[in-house]
Amino acid sequence: MSLSRIAAIALRILKQFRHDPRTIALIVIVPLLVMALIGYLLGDSGKEPLPVAVVNLDAGAEAPVGHVSLGVEIARALAADDAIAVQTVPSPEAAAERVRAAEVAGAVILPPDLTRRVLADEPASVRVVVGGTDPNLQGPVLAATGRAVQGLTERGASTVGFRAPALTIRPVPLRGGVDLSPLDYDAPILLTFFAFFLTFLLTSVSFLRERSSGTLERLMASPASRLDVLLGYLLGFIGFAVAQALLILGYAAWVLDVRIAGSVWLVLLVLVILLIGVVNLGISLSFYARNELQVVQFIPLVLIPQVFLGGLIWPVQSLWPPLRWLSQLFPLTHSTVALREVMVGGQGFGDVAGRLLALLAFSVAMVAVGVLALRTQRA
Amino acid sequence: MGPMRRVVAFARYGPAGRRIGRSLRVGGERELAIEAEGVVRTFGHLRALDGLSLTVRRGEILGLVGPNGAGKTTFVRTLAGLLRPTAGRVSVLGRAPGPRAAVDVGYMTQSAALYEDLPVLDNLVFFGRLFGMGRGEARARAGDLLALVDLKGKERVPVRALSGGMRQLTNLACAMVHRPRLLLLDEPTVGIDPVLRRRLWEHFAELNAAGTTILVTTHVMEEAERCHRVALIGAGRAIAVGTPAELKAAADTRSIEEAYLVFWGRRTRDGAS
Repeated sequence: MSLSRIAAIALRILKQFRHDPRTIALIVIVPLLVMALIGYLLGDSGKEPLPVAVVNLDAGAEAPVGHVSLGVEIARALAADDAIAVQTVPSPEAAAERVRAAEVAGAVILPPDLTRRVLADEPASVRVVVGGTDPNLQGPVLAATGRAVQGLTERGASTVGFRAPALTIRPVPLRGGVDLSPLDYDAPILLTFFAFFLTFLLTSVSFLRERSSGTLERLMASPASRLDVLLGYLLGFIGFAVAQALLILGYAAWVLDVRIAGSVWLVLLVLVILLIGVVNLGISLSFYARNELQVVQFIPLVLIPQVFLGGLIWPVQSLWPPLRWLSQLFPLTHSTVALREVMVGGQGFGDVAGRLLALLAFSVAMVAVGVLALRTQRA
Repeated sequence: MGPMRRVVAFARYGPAGRRIGRSLRVGGERELAIEAEGVVRTFGHLRALDGLSLTVRRGEILGLVGPNGAGKTTFVRTLAGLLRPTAGRVSVLGRAPGPRAAVDVGYMTQSAALYEDLPVLDNLVFFGRLFGMGRGEARARAGDLLALVDLKGKERVPVRALSGGMRQLTNLACAMVHRPRLLLLDEPTVGIDPVLRRRLWEHFAELNAAGTTILVTTHVMEEAERCHRVALIGAGRAIAVGTPAELKAAADTRSIEEAYLVFWGRRTRDGAS
């Protein structure tokens, strides 16, 4: 063992980093970005309460203490809950429409005979209309309703005098369900995440090799146009990317018995449109990397914001508005919702058309960025 | 038919018997393959080309000779359409460099730019197809070319398994697969043993005999002697152009290397005065 040799090696590594400002920047930026996002998402401040529609149809009833309305009490308790932001809606139909349009995370419907039935010791229930595809949305709504009802029964038991078990909460999923397995809810996330991740890695490293081996220069010195090169790459990679996605999907469906309520073809369409964009993103970003190591360093930069802010773990609706708008630029935000709607909710083409359009916009934009990036090869 | 004659006949007529050689000279020596006038190319503060003017006649082998950093590769990359000149005018076979002119231009990069995982034949066929050849045509042409560069039997060998010299021969074959009328060779013999270097130059001569115009960069003076004309490049300009004999006579030296130093000295003296 020689201390001077060890020191020479260590010093050489430090020197190499000094000549590689990009790596230094990534070493600093990536952990700060991750910690800032985690701090924000797990912390108490800066998050918006989830919007929840409340329809109070309860007519109230006469009790020994006078006229009481449990509907008003529950609505008041919901309004006082910090985790949600109540929107008062006149009819159950209008409320369901808002849930369907994802304007609210759920709708609490207080029926006309709520107070009467509870006071008469008849079973009564509060309906909670939810989308049925995203536990991140329906979970908090059901939890807040549970808190409101429980608070009421505790107080009600002493003042009005009704028995607790009489009042239940009945979740009404518009599609999908409220008690599916975590795998059913999360399979769409895993599918879109791994399709994105593996395709990005495959294309960015391959294109980097095309550049570093000098063959890209040869392509550029041929009659091939930039679009020829890009579309050729796209066509070549999309097959592998889709095959990989099919493998994940097939394993999920047959081995893990994951729910696929909608059309498998629609699932594939979502993935293909997403992956067209990802192939071009990989090509474009590979121009900013000098070697495979740097490509790998791009992965957290590309994926972490999408995973944290794209509704995969935390609901987009509860983000600080600027971050919410930002999340709409992320392809994973749209592909996750689209795949959940199709796989968990069994929705059709028309229901996810908006998400498909957003993904298409991303893909077209990435093709354009790719053509611009290739421009640097003929400059 | 001896191998040499076969090679020449092939290069002249192609496998389909299409005459591609002599017809190029119809326009006579005045027709120019390359015209460059006052070409400037800067990279940030660096002026890689600083008003380079040069013409290459159709059917000749012109050598670009100069030290590292003189601007040889920048000039070749400009001709190949990979770099746009910052100022000045370039035309290649009568066209501006770019995808349209590229149809008739073969570009052999300094280091072998090949797909390492693919067999030799597939590399050739791919580049043929890129230049608009049909699959069958490209395969036939690739087979003939491999015979030409003595790589027959290596068709199925992946490039990564080839020796450095074989790689460079494959690289040359890839540059020629579409029967270019102009070959741009950027230091084609760097890192190659003397025997193979001699063989490569025989190939260049054969191609040229069949009518291909060749622009070749080198800093091997012995190679410069094999060119019809030589352009001495220094600091991004052509400091002297002529046949090897003319250059040596004008500088009153016995070698092009010495001639280079003489011209370079005159230029810097003139520049100083």
